[in-house]
Amino acid sequence: MVRTLGWLSAAALALGLVMAFGVAPREVSQGNVQRIMYVHPPLAWVAYLAFGVVAAASIAYLVRRAPGADRLAHASAEVGVLFTGLAIATGSIWGKPTWGTWWTWDARLTSVAILFVMYLGYLLLRGTVEDRERAARYCAVLGIVAALDMPLVHFSVYWWRTLHQPPSLMKPGGFTGSAAILWPLLVNLAAFTVLYAYLVAKRVRLLRAEAEALA
Amino acid sequence: MPDNWGFVTAAYGLTALVLGLYWRRLVRREKELDHAREARSRTARAAAGAATVAERSRQPSRSGHPRSEPASRPPLP
Repeated sequence: MVRTLGWLSAAALALGLVMAFGVAPREVSQGNVQRIMYVHPPLAWVAYLAFGVVAAASIAYLVRRAPGADRLAHASAEVGVLFTGLAIATGSIWGKPTWGTWWTWDARLTSVAILFVMYLGYLLLRGTVEDRERAARYCAVLGIVAALDMPLVHFSVYWWRTLHQPPSLMKPGGFTGSAAILWPLLVNLAAFTVLYAYLVAKRVRLLRAEAEALA
Repeated sequence: MPDNWGFVTAAYGLTALVLGLYWRRLVRREKELDHAREARSRTARAAAGAATVAERSRQPSRSGHPRSEPASRPPLP
């Protein structure tokens, strides 16, 4: 099943690339640099998804004490940190030619940076506490608390005046651009979601094997 | 506005590089654990085999002749 997910994500990412560079048109005001949109929002979306899964799995662990839930939270946090880091980096690369700066301390960028650092701390906490059961418990609490930053990240563009634009898709009224831009974006969102599922499944299997090797 | 293809390449290239390296790290760790598991099962099988030979050497022979203790036997020439 994991192997199938791997091939599926490879095919979906290839299709996403074709859509981003072959199907999507050159944007009128930004030019071709706007094509970064087909990678940056999908990365950010997967980061939201990953940390949502961490919060849900952490609640499940605290209620049932199932090691499987803890492994899922751990794997999802690791992949989420990776995708958040990439979302920040690609956003910064996109910001330089369009905003004229790599970074600015506006509400969206700052709240995402806080989210990134909190989950980085989550991963460090796992490595610091030696007792596995205690580490799982502490991380479950941190995983839930850190997820509270996600609404702040999402609504920061409405609550404060930011350089970052409001969401394109997840907004009241939905997407208002042309279908030629929407479809490549949706395909890439789906491709990165499948890639997330594949990486998490692979990491969970690895965590289970590591636990068996230590037992 | 200029196309800034360099920024587009940097964004896609960085994403591909980081995700590729992470994937390779997972695959490598998986292989290491598989090798370790195989080595453990080989050692366990060998230990079980050695235990069986030691057990048999202490049992009386089928012909009825008494058997000496393995430690008291002289080495073969």
